Amino acid sequence: MMGTTAAAVPWGRLMPEAGREAARIVDSACVRLWLGEVAARLEAERDFLTQLDAAIGDADHGVNMHRGFTAVMARVSAVEEATPGQLLRVAGRTFVSTVGGAAGPLYGTAFLAAGGALGDTERFGPRVLLDALRASLEGVQRVGAASVGDKTMVDALSPALDAYELELRVGGSLETAVNGAREAAVAGMRATIPLQARKGRASYLGPRSVGHQDPGATSTALMFAALEQAVIADRSQRFAAGARRPVSGS
Amino acid sequence: MIQSVGRAARILKALGSESARLGVTELAERLGLAKATVYGLLRTLEAHQLVEQDLETGKYRLGPALLQLGNAFLDNNELRARSLLWAETLAGRAREAVHVGVLYGANVLLVHHVFRPDNSLQILQVGASIPWHACALGKASVAYLEPEARAELLAGPLPRLTGRTLTARPALEAALAAVVETGVAVEDQEAIVGEAGIAAALFDHRGAVVGAIGLAGPVERLLPHGPATEAVTAVKEAARGLSRELGAGRPALPGTGA
Repeated sequence: MMGTTAAAVPWGRLMPEAGREAARIVDSACVRLWLGEVAARLEAERDFLTQLDAAIGDADHGVNMHRGFTAVMARVSAVEEATPGQLLRVAGRTFVSTVGGAAGPLYGTAFLAAGGALGDTERFGPRVLLDALRASLEGVQRVGAASVGDKTMVDALSPALDAYELELRVGGSLETAVNGAREAAVAGMRATIPLQARKGRASYLGPRSVGHQDPGATSTALMFAALEQAVIADRSQRFAAGARRPVSGS
Repeated sequence: MIQSVGRAARILKALGSESARLGVTELAERLGLAKATVYGLLRTLEAHQLVEQDLETGKYRLGPALLQLGNAFLDNNELRARSLLWAETLAGRAREAVHVGVLYGANVLLVHHVFRPDNSLQILQVGASIPWHACALGKASVAYLEPEARAELLAGPLPRLTGRTLTARPALEAALAAVVETGVAVEDQEAIVGEAGIAAALFDHRGAVVGAIGLAGPVERLLPHGPATEAVTAVKEAARGLSRELGAGRPALPGTGA
């Protein structure tokens, strides 16, 4: 399943339902869960990402992302009291300073933009998270000038946010929204395979970039899969804690 | 134009455009030709080892003779042959990857690539084709073209590859003027986010630009606070030495401060 053209997505399956109660807020604990989940998945998928990047890039995406997130986790763990926005800004700054290639500036900008949009709000609902994610997309597009269809991380990020927003609009919860986002991100990631790259090193290959899955879209899909899992895990932890932490908010 | 040669070329390009192997039916559909026609062309190409058939699936892919032709293309490129030693030396001195490129239309074709000497995993970029306005090699070459040729490229499509790609004509004209002024072209994340380039043009015995040589690497190393002085010096010296070897005399070397 690890052929160079395969859309191997070992993380792309649904998480089992852990309960009925929908967690409706995001706080620092949830953001920490998310970052930790991303780090664990990047460790597991490092070689797969590198393999994808070797076909159309310069074979450093897996190593770069893994190194960056290892550094992010070290820094974030050292910060005891922090708002979600602060955590994301720490992550963004760490990424920019430790990750080479295009991934450092692009993901660094994404985390910094989301952290900036959140300010120092301690708890927020799914709508605010959407605004933060939209700020990430804008930041990535400002730096990378990529649109949907260019065979980049935007091909996973943009449809994920549209799906998330649609879920909220039809009355969905944070959980259904992150689920929709993950599904759309994975679909967007797979849809990069037949595309000819118009941005990044892959675009140097011209038509030869066709038939390969974009590594950046793949790592972005990984982050949405991690987000969904973090939201579910966070809700379970709240249950276990006997609802000492609030389970809903605006 | 000979129709069948054109069709054969289209078959090769179709097979070269993606990693998937293609069957006779798929190729016929893609090219809008009769299956029998495509089959005949494939058999001929196969006889010359320009395509080969996968025995298991019956599908066709590019053949080994193309690698020999590609290598012959590179070997016949005098610039590449002459640049091997200079590029190696430059990479060792600057501790960065070196690219040698030639302008083909609006793109720079990389004809030689020396890895950054740090034992990290790197992918050979020879054969990559980069829009001229987004890379240092391209700007270094175009700066010394005849005015008409330069104007044509400045008027052509200038795709935006990153948020920093120069796409406005005045900005590019200023960048080209700066190349002539300083002797080097600088690129700051204009092709790939996070990556930079420093390059200088190469000249032949007539004083005509024949390509460019330069460093490619992380922006924080190549352009820490503007272009790193040692890197600029190393690139200029490599370009000057290589140009002399290509027959450019001292008086015929424009813009190198010689």
